[in-house]
Amino acid sequence: MAALCHDLGHLPFSHAAEKELLPEGWDHELLTIDIIRSEEMKNIWEGMTPPLRVEDIFKLAVGPKKFKDIKFNNWEAILSEIIVGDAFGVDRIDYLLRDSHHAGVAYGKFDHYRLIDTLRILPMSTSEEHGSKEPALGIEEGGLHSAEALLLARYFMYFHPVRRIYDIHLKDFLIEWLPEGRFPINIEELLKITDNEVLAALLEAARIESGKGHGPARRIVKREHYRKLYEKSPDDIKINPEAGRSIYKELQSKYGNEALRRDTYTAKNSAIEFPVLHSDGRIYTSYKLSNIIQRLPVPSFDYIFIKPDLLKESSEWLKENRPDIIKTLILED
Amino acid sequence: MEGTKRQAVVVSLIENMGDNGSWCGETHIQKSLYFLQEMLGVPLNFDFILYKHGPFSFDLRDELGVMRSNMLVELKSKPYPYGPSYLPGEAAERLRELYPKTTKKYKPQINFISEKLSGLSVAELERLATALYVTLEEGRNQNAITRAIRINELKPHIKIDEAQKAVGDVDSLIIEAENEFH
Repeated sequence: MAALCHDLGHLPFSHAAEKELLPEGWDHELLTIDIIRSEEMKNIWEGMTPPLRVEDIFKLAVGPKKFKDIKFNNWEAILSEIIVGDAFGVDRIDYLLRDSHHAGVAYGKFDHYRLIDTLRILPMSTSEEHGSKEPALGIEEGGLHSAEALLLARYFMYFHPVRRIYDIHLKDFLIEWLPEGRFPINIEELLKITDNEVLAALLEAARIESGKGHGPARRIVKREHYRKLYEKSPDDIKINPEAGRSIYKELQSKYGNEALRRDTYTAKNSAIEFPVLHSDGRIYTSYKLSNIIQRLPVPSFDYIFIKPDLLKESSEWLKENRPDIIKTLILED
Repeated sequence: MEGTKRQAVVVSLIENMGDNGSWCGETHIQKSLYFLQEMLGVPLNFDFILYKHGPFSFDLRDELGVMRSNMLVELKSKPYPYGPSYLPGEAAERLRELYPKTTKKYKPQINFISEKLSGLSVAELERLATALYVTLEEGRNQNAITRAIRINELKPHIKIDEAQKAVGDVDSLIIEAENEFH
């Protein structure tokens, strides 16, 4: 039940810019908890045989990250990891396979049957001297290739700059279209706004020049999206760890805020370590046994986008000024 | 403290622990920063909850990912039974140049923690950090056996005698830290 309820609190179009579209401190996980605890759902939990405890459902559905004051015992930690875990969470398995299918992208496919068959609860190490005996979710050696395929699928799937700028245009549209620029946190009101309502409003706004959110709606519908002007490079970072911020600041002074958008992201829990039961009877860390996991880069980007009609001019300007901008540090000690 | 300034402190700790002979896996970094923040009061603003091997910060785990992507730290595989080690990365030196005051300011606390914790195994760190967590939650006035029982409730694979020893070690460490820094 916790797995089924895990994503109940998602806004229309899922993660697209929920931070800016909800009041401070709110996110889809808190909305999920509110829905699970709602009177309507409470009746369902109480009507089951045996009745389900609300706290069990939302704890496992959301995982420990959101709960500073609620403790998870070992079993609860493992059960929630099966649902929301970074390595093999069923949430990840589900969305990779589903997104891959619906977007027609072959990257997301991997042998989830094999992976699930080889899942085991293991201590992190068989070493009496060094390892903790705390149980964790791991796999048998035979499932390692499936686990690697899942991690690679995740790496390849989600960071294309065009996909990212469409999220930003959607967010810009929603800020203009929604009352007070935010989704409501009242569950009844929130659930009235689905992908369908947003899509219909988006198409209408794209047609009507005076409509709320006409600009970003038109960019989405007519494919007039902002173009990628800059992405972070290792050479820039070695000189200035905040190179993207410095460049964005200078571009803002030159072209104004409205012409630019910046998008930065680094994947959570990029060092994927889990126990692997080897055929020699020992338990090794996945990092030791998998060359792919050792070499898998951290999915991370820092993109700056600009209005299409300014792309040529701004590219030339940036080419000329980039070395000096990078040297300008905006850090303070 | 946030952003690159906080990363400078993390890099400094990783380097120092490596110099003190720690294999410096993620658990070492998690628990050492927990002691640095909660026992010595270095304002790192990481949120810790009781989770993997004791107090654990998802923010810190995310921060280590950002630091890897920005070449401030890197991972290196170690022979069985060890997990991977964190080392300062290619861009770490630049961060030190940018934050000389911050690095210097917290050097004594980082030295203290590295000296005390670098030689401990994951299992020992788990017990010690959980003992600090319970001590901060229940108060130092609470007797050792009560705190040990609580540790065993929270982490059943830690036996009561092991937990009791960890509570004694934490009490000594707190006294030593108070003498050194107050």
